[in-house]
Amino acid sequence: MKTCIACGMPMKKESDFAMGDTSKEYCVYCAKADGSMHSFEEKKQSLINFTIKTQGLDEAVAEKAVENMMRQLPAWKECF
Amino acid sequence: MKTKRQIQKEATRKIILNAAYQMYANEGFSATTNQIAKAANVSHGTIFVHFPTVDNLIICLLERFGSEINEHLHLLSEKDESLETFLAAHINVLICYEDFYKRLISEINSLPQEAKYVFINIQSVVSFHLNQVIEREKEKMAIKEIPMHIIFNSWLGLIHYYLTNNYLFTAGSVLTDHKDELILNYIKLIRK
Repeated sequence: MKTCIACGMPMKKESDFAMGDTSKEYCVYCAKADGSMHSFEEKKQSLINFTIKTQGLDEAVAEKAVENMMRQLPAWKECF
Repeated sequence: MKTKRQIQKEATRKIILNAAYQMYANEGFSATTNQIAKAANVSHGTIFVHFPTVDNLIICLLERFGSEINEHLHLLSEKDESLETFLAAHINVLICYEDFYKRLISEINSLPQEAKYVFINIQSVVSFHLNQVIEREKEKMAIKEIPMHIIFNSWLGLIHYYLTNNYLFTAGSVLTDHKDELILNYIKLIRK
């Protein structure tokens, strides 16, 4: 099973892939309306906001956790 | 194509991670690398060929554990699943790793900072799926006006309380024995 290069989500169904295109390496949540992938800063901010919204974390902690996660992902290797 | 040496190296790494997983599940994170080496049937030095420090071993193990939970939960999650189905899927995944997970939540505060971040990211996978289910329930006006993080943290708090105090509730697996009761009553708390 493929995993999204930008957030690590497993992609099993067509609807998991950006634009429903199974040849894409990133998921529906990491794609913009035009199908292109979010930039590093866009993705980072959206993950921080999501972590705060769903887990109630302090912003600085959320930022560290998100950076730690993004550092492992192929899409962002060059950003660290 | 991988060389024989690379295949052997990966196999040994996997054996060490499996032994560490079992040792930490049984003994807690104070288990020594000597104990892990013995369980893996490798020399003590071999562990440090694959993992330069104990912290690195713990972090790699947690990352692998997180990936497994992620994949497992994703496979169990269906597009239009109900709240009941999702909560049952979450508990079922945790039952597969119950002893290790119990140690992890009991000892997380004494683990290295990076391990704590990995732990947050493991929970993010769960909160991602729960958030999707809750958003759908909110559209149907079926959920009380409670912030998402309180909904998530209350669920986690409930199951973590039962896990860390397993002995109060059963001699066996607390998640197996109390799964239905926890799901049913948690939903009563948050649903209108």
